[in-house]
Amino acid sequence: MNTALIERPLVQNEMETVHRKIIDRRRNNRGLPPYRAALTEEIVEILSAFFAKERPGARVSGVRRVGGGASKEQFFFTLSDGGKEEQFLLRMDPRSAITETDREREFVLIDAMQGRVPVPEPVWIDNDAVHFPQAAAIMRVVSGVTKPSDAGVKVSGLGTWLGPELREKIKDQFLDYLVEIHSYDWRANPLPGFEVPDADAKQAARWNFNYWRELWEVDEGEPRPVMSLATQWMADNMPDTAGLVMLHGDYRTGNYLFDEASGKITALLDWELARIGDYHEDLGWVLMEIFGSFDSDGTFRASDLFEREEFIAEYERRSGRTVNRETLHYYDVASSWKCNIIVAANGLAAARSQHNHQDVLLTFLGAAAPMFANDLVRLLSKGAEA
Amino acid sequence: MTPTTDERLASVIRSLTEVVMPHLPADASLAQEQVQLAIGHLQILRLQFDSVHGFEAEELADTRALAAELAEAMTGGTSTIAARESLEDLVGAPAGEVRAALSAVNRGVELLVQAVSADGSDDARKKLPEIILRHESQRVEKDRRWFLPYGFDTMEAAA
Repeated sequence: MNTALIERPLVQNEMETVHRKIIDRRRNNRGLPPYRAALTEEIVEILSAFFAKERPGARVSGVRRVGGGASKEQFFFTLSDGGKEEQFLLRMDPRSAITETDREREFVLIDAMQGRVPVPEPVWIDNDAVHFPQAAAIMRVVSGVTKPSDAGVKVSGLGTWLGPELREKIKDQFLDYLVEIHSYDWRANPLPGFEVPDADAKQAARWNFNYWRELWEVDEGEPRPVMSLATQWMADNMPDTAGLVMLHGDYRTGNYLFDEASGKITALLDWELARIGDYHEDLGWVLMEIFGSFDSDGTFRASDLFEREEFIAEYERRSGRTVNRETLHYYDVASSWKCNIIVAANGLAAARSQHNHQDVLLTFLGAAAPMFANDLVRLLSKGAEA
Repeated sequence: MTPTTDERLASVIRSLTEVVMPHLPADASLAQEQVQLAIGHLQILRLQFDSVHGFEAEELADTRALAAELAEAMTGGTSTIAARESLEDLVGAPAGEVRAALSAVNRGVELLVQAVSADGSDDARKKLPEIILRHESQRVEKDRRWFLPYGFDTMEAAA
């Protein structure tokens, strides 16, 4: 066997500074010893020590781990101070995750979104792990659920089944909030750490491509022909930026809380993949089939809310932007390509290095990779445009 | 008489399901989730155990068939020719360990894809995606069916 063929060159392509930092950290952490899930009593001790300095006299109680999720260690807790009780959520990075991100960046953006869209209130940040074993942020708890209590109706897929009644209550909010996020004026109100890909017409697409391409290499993603084809196709077909907006980065049902009775969205969650980029990038993500639902008659709904053409038309109408079908097709491919990298490279690398608290979940999720590969076959079969 | 792999896996699944799970504290959500996932993994491994070697051997054979067709069809400049010749060597090499052989062929295909983009002929640029997508549509179908027990796949619903 020609082993030179499977050696991977170290590449250093241009990307946002924070993404370079994440990739370097991931590469450098590879040799660290295994990570162990934090015990609840350890978190009680750490939180108590933190608040002894931050809010002397306050008492920590009711610490309990939050189930679900695949990337952060999360704990609810109560802080009692002067007869007042407040509920908080601790979000702490494991040593390595299926999506490794920057807590401060997420914290800064959520803070900027206060009053614009429903978000949790970010209260404390320890991005350099001075007080916590890993980078951590603390937010105020918001009530709501991510899926209806009878969500078991849907038996397959990663998406959440809302059903007709909730769908009608949620869909307008879902789209209006996306439009509102995209309208954030980042030139007038720049956010620290968020760089603007406006050096040339293709920089937004290039930064996105370079970051995920390098993550794939660093995490030693196992090449398969359709991924190789998709990677080269993306490199060769980068679109000009249609318009730069603040992207959420992971906008879909499952990443917001809602009140089950009223259908009111109470908080948009999981902002860690946010960046400034082309609005088509968020649209492609929202429209991914894997995060949607299929009716018994085969009708697809993105996030179980909108049929594809309905979503595109309504986004255009509400945002005043035009959806370029070729650019959207590029970001359709990019979304499935990125998801494949997340489950087939990032998640498995975190599990292999034993740097995560949920190795068994990460290897379980790896089984979703053929679905994304199938998406790539379907999308690339359409050629250069949709 | 020695225990079969199926008997060993079945006993671990039963232990986790009937002894470990019920004794986990109600508030140990992470432990409960992980035991359930471990049980799920083991049940699927038990289901697939006898077919694993056949599945991987077929995956290698499929990938070699794709690589052979690519190698035969690709023409172009020096990069394309060099990548094509490397791929031909890989396809013709003794398989050895299946996973390593599969990785090597896949990497060879990746390098050929890159080379054709750099200096492949017009004919190669047209044929390369056609060949890959035709082979991969069949291969992906097999992979999806293999991982169907994990419950993520919407292939039944989409169909």
